[in-house]
Amino acid sequence: MVRSEFRKLTTARSPWLLLAAGPLIVVAGVTGLVQSGGNVHDPAVQRQALAHLGLAAVITLLFGIVAVAGEYRHGTITDTYLSCPDRRRMIAAKLAVYGLAGAAAGLVTAGIAVGVTAAWWAAKGGSFRLSGSDTWLTLAGGLAACFAFAVIGVGLGALIRNLAGAVAIALAWIALIEGIVGQITGSGLARWLPFYASEALDRSDIGGGPHLLPQWAGGLVLLGYAAAFAAAAVLTTLRRDVT
Amino acid sequence: MEIEVRELTKTFGPVTAVRNLSFTAPAGQVTGLIGPNGSGKTTTLRVALGLVRPSAGTVLIGGARYAELRRPRRTAGAMLEATGFHPGQRARDHLRVLAAAAGVPDRRVGEVLAEVGLADAAGRRIRGFSLGMRQRLGLAGALLGDPPVLLLDEAANGLDPAGIAWLRGLLRGLAAQGRTVVIASHVLGEVAQTAGHVVIVSGGRLRFAGPLSELAADGGSLESAFLRLTGAPA
Repeated sequence: MVRSEFRKLTTARSPWLLLAAGPLIVVAGVTGLVQSGGNVHDPAVQRQALAHLGLAAVITLLFGIVAVAGEYRHGTITDTYLSCPDRRRMIAAKLAVYGLAGAAAGLVTAGIAVGVTAAWWAAKGGSFRLSGSDTWLTLAGGLAACFAFAVIGVGLGALIRNLAGAVAIALAWIALIEGIVGQITGSGLARWLPFYASEALDRSDIGGGPHLLPQWAGGLVLLGYAAAFAAAAVLTTLRRDVT
Repeated sequence: MEIEVRELTKTFGPVTAVRNLSFTAPAGQVTGLIGPNGSGKTTTLRVALGLVRPSAGTVLIGGARYAELRRPRRTAGAMLEATGFHPGQRARDHLRVLAAAAGVPDRRVGEVLAEVGLADAAGRRIRGFSLGMRQRLGLAGALLGDPPVLLLDEAANGLDPAGIAWLRGLLRGLAAQGRTVVIASHVLGEVAQTAGHVVIVSGGRLRFAGPLSELAADGGSLESAFLRLTGAPA
């Protein structure tokens, strides 16, 4: 099944077009940061630039949603269930392949984040430091977020099954719900929500807002969400009728 | 390897699609599963393939449920109306995906494409395919695992006369090899020319199961027997 899922990804163009948006977002974000007066001599600003990698996780979230919801959209889900009536194995294969693909996309985007940040720093006369745990922790956090959100996406797509609906819900959640909950409840509860947790993981201050969890806690919370969505995906597909 | 439908009942909410249905599709025959719209044909096929859970009863392929088969696609090949395709994918790659999942060597892809007459279109993206070509691709997918059992829902849909004749020959040939072929169809004329065994369902219930010759024994046509058994106004 893993080989089959891998082939699905490598023989279609649209997943790659979607993933390409990740690096574009990072380039735009870093450029915006510098152009709006970011101080290239401040190491904290370098961290902020690299933390844009976490935004690419939204792209991997959408990418994960396509895994199951996309198959419902195109009607290929029937063939998939026929190929593998053991649905747990089928979902597990999707979680593994899409999770790893999300991580790989995160790795490429991390490379591009480093490249574009280094380029801007050189252009503005700052010194870009690749060494230092601050840099590596930020990059590692962003990479983990890409993986976790890909897994969450697969789960979300399996639960909602309607591609447009799942994408709408995901984007609305990130753009609206977490923001509103943050406003209403203050920092205490909001920082446990998935996207806030991922901001803690990427060590970004982009959201501003509530005081975030420490990086390791953000990582654990996000991986917890990923595991929960993965389990939900496996359980709900098990008994469902496909008509 | 025969298909056994055993006291199958399936309700979707308030609607009873299949009601205590029992019949056997024997090996070495083409069995025509016919009935009016909404008679439960497609639901029966879906239960047989593990896509739908029965409310009661079961469908066994060679004595086992589809979900229990060790190599499902190599035991029972299927082509259903709801089978869709990723439009951006090439025909050959669509089949390569199925082959990987089924543990079937890639060389089979070329073989089945040639068998259904799509060898020239193998490298083209499916969005450019006509309905007839999509039907052939679906058939290729069903044949990929070289299965002893074949379940087809409205397989002739969209095929031109040459295609229909070709399909008829293919199915009869497969049955002659000892395979079990079930075709669900509205097109009685085609069923009459292809099937040796007939199962008529209506309102989710069995109306007739037996050799085609038995139905048309008194010189009547399949159509008149069908209309009589399914209670259609004359």
